[in-house]
Amino acid sequence: MKKKVLAVLLGGCMVAGLVAGCGGNSGDDAAKSEGGSEGGGYHFEVVVKSFQSTYWQAALQGIEAAQEELGVTTNATGPNAESDIADQVNMLNNAINQNPDGIALAACDQNSVIESLQSALDKEIPVVCFDTGVPDAPEGSVYATVVTDNEAAGAVAAENMYEVIKDTIANATEPVRIGEVNQDATAANIIGRGMGFINKMKELIEADGKTVAVIGNQLYVDSVENNGDEASADVIIEVAVPAQTTVELSATEAANIMNKDDTIAIFGSNQVTAEGVLTANQNLNVLAATPDEGIVGVGFDAGATLKAAVADGTLIGAVTQAPVDQGRIAIETLYKICEGEEVSDVTTDSYWYDAENMEDENIAPNLYD
Amino acid sequence: MANKTVTKTAGTNKSFIDRMGGQKFIVLLIVIALFIFFCAMSPGFRKYTTVVSILDYSYYITLMAIGVAFPLMTAGVDLSIGTGLVCYSLIGGYLIVHQGWPTGAGMVVSILLGVLFGILNGCLVAIMELPPFLATLCTCMITRGVGSVVVGGFGIPWPTAAAPGGWFRSIFKIQVNGMNIPIGFLWIILIVIIMTFVLNHTKMGRYTLAIGSNKEATRLSGVNVRFYHIMAYVICGFFAGLASISYSAIFATVQPGSGAGFELEAIGGAIIGGVSMTGGVGSITGTLAGVFVICLLKTGLPFIGLTANWQQIITGLVLIVAVLFDILKRKKEGK
Repeated sequence: MKKKVLAVLLGGCMVAGLVAGCGGNSGDDAAKSEGGSEGGGYHFEVVVKSFQSTYWQAALQGIEAAQEELGVTTNATGPNAESDIADQVNMLNNAINQNPDGIALAACDQNSVIESLQSALDKEIPVVCFDTGVPDAPEGSVYATVVTDNEAAGAVAAENMYEVIKDTIANATEPVRIGEVNQDATAANIIGRGMGFINKMKELIEADGKTVAVIGNQLYVDSVENNGDEASADVIIEVAVPAQTTVELSATEAANIMNKDDTIAIFGSNQVTAEGVLTANQNLNVLAATPDEGIVGVGFDAGATLKAAVADGTLIGAVTQAPVDQGRIAIETLYKICEGEEVSDVTTDSYWYDAENMEDENIAPNLYD
Repeated sequence: MANKTVTKTAGTNKSFIDRMGGQKFIVLLIVIALFIFFCAMSPGFRKYTTVVSILDYSYYITLMAIGVAFPLMTAGVDLSIGTGLVCYSLIGGYLIVHQGWPTGAGMVVSILLGVLFGILNGCLVAIMELPPFLATLCTCMITRGVGSVVVGGFGIPWPTAAAPGGWFRSIFKIQVNGMNIPIGFLWIILIVIIMTFVLNHTKMGRYTLAIGSNKEATRLSGVNVRFYHIMAYVICGFFAGLASISYSAIFATVQPGSGAGFELEAIGGAIIGGVSMTGGVGSITGTLAGVFVICLLKTGLPFIGLTANWQQIITGLVLIVAVLFDILKRKKEGK
């Protein structure tokens, strides 16, 4: 019996070694992105959340553009999955040990990297965080943070949706309903996006002389200032949050809103919830280009399914973040630090995309699969 | 064995409920009651499209639950089916979308992977004598990792219904005059009939229950316990493979890293349906009814306006009641 257990354990170790070995290799091979060596510039290490997802491939495009422009070299690494926190800390420590002129970091976990950031500070290596900030980083270690302005991103969705539905709202005799499905009520970026949409939509509707009530998930409702009364409001914004982050539960929440007769529009505020709206529509078949024909759908982020839905007009459009910009600005910021310039935090824009503009050269690179 | 009855007068006088199938019958009544309740409470729920959605989202849980009923009845468990489902779907889809394989071949790969991990689980439990909880927790982690490594972090969009190779989506749902017909449910019924037969009238099923009741006695009576014990996990893996196909067919994109938690819905459904976690007792029809309790709650609670936190509280309470019911029944039988 003991021998058997030992054999299993040894076998397990071998398999684990194999898997880890393979994973590491493929990551490293793909990760080398040695760039323009002319200019005798600086060398930066880049650590991303997950090297192999297309979102980060897009960020890498921006990094490559910046290194050509500035004459610097970069080396990018990242773990297999965004949840491989320990792997990433390892990679960050390796990067620090190479004494680069700077490090660009997209942290998988805000707390796990703090110790490493302290050693970067001790070695006087400047760090720029992108995609995700590290709020509790040791004083002076992170020089600047480059992140999406999520509130603005939500507002972009609201503005573009309002363009399509404003006549219906203006002419409505009965109250109408706008749905929003948010993946959760805990992550700062999702809450920022959700509230950005709600606040902008409320502002636009109220500017045209109508009243708004926000109902649904408690956290979002409580965050609204001067919330109206559901019974008397002209427009009801209903916020739904699924019990778990699955497409299926997002679809159920979306279907609940889309089934109501007074619903004129719905917004899924990230990839999973936007796909939930589309999954619900498979059976309901109510999404349309205008409120007269059905329900107007707006998504967020990209991915093959979402892109196809925008291209064929099922969704009138979606908002994408700007990974390409983030990669480029992170390297530019590091360059400025090395040149002795003052730097500050940067928020990057989000882009509205629809069937018309999704092939544009400043949009297409941000639309990952 | 599945229907131990409370003997009143020399075992001839079965109660009405026991004659109708015991716990299975009660669960079926609960399913009907829940359905009527949600219909009464929400106009949105009353629609045909909602019924189609409930069926759509029930296929993969039902298939997983039928599969996991077998390890459960041997007094084991298989925690790897949720992440396994996503892993098999990712790899099958990867071969179809990125390697240009025909859809059918990718589907076969998905099922074979399920069988393969079933064999691995079975060997770990029956030969290496690892506790089922631990062994399948490990394969749960392995399948999660393998899926992500193979696809390199990409979500996999299996071909859409209209795209070339999208025929597999019509296994579960066809459109007639613009109306969605959930024909997948016919397959589920067929599978339930087949597996009920397997469980009650074949060596495979009888020995599965026997192993769960008393493994040693089963071995002493000359049964190749090791083989049938492994086979329980192989059946489970095979059904996880089938579930992966139903999942790919219903949902547009399969995301790496997801799937954890699916197994709990399947196990929960089987237990509500009367499969005992201590082994030796269970039925496939009960499992089907149990899964629908979970599916109805998942879809119905949002429709009656309960927010996420309340949905979780109520689902948890229902599970407690179901397990308590099982324990009480067992105590009563023990007397």
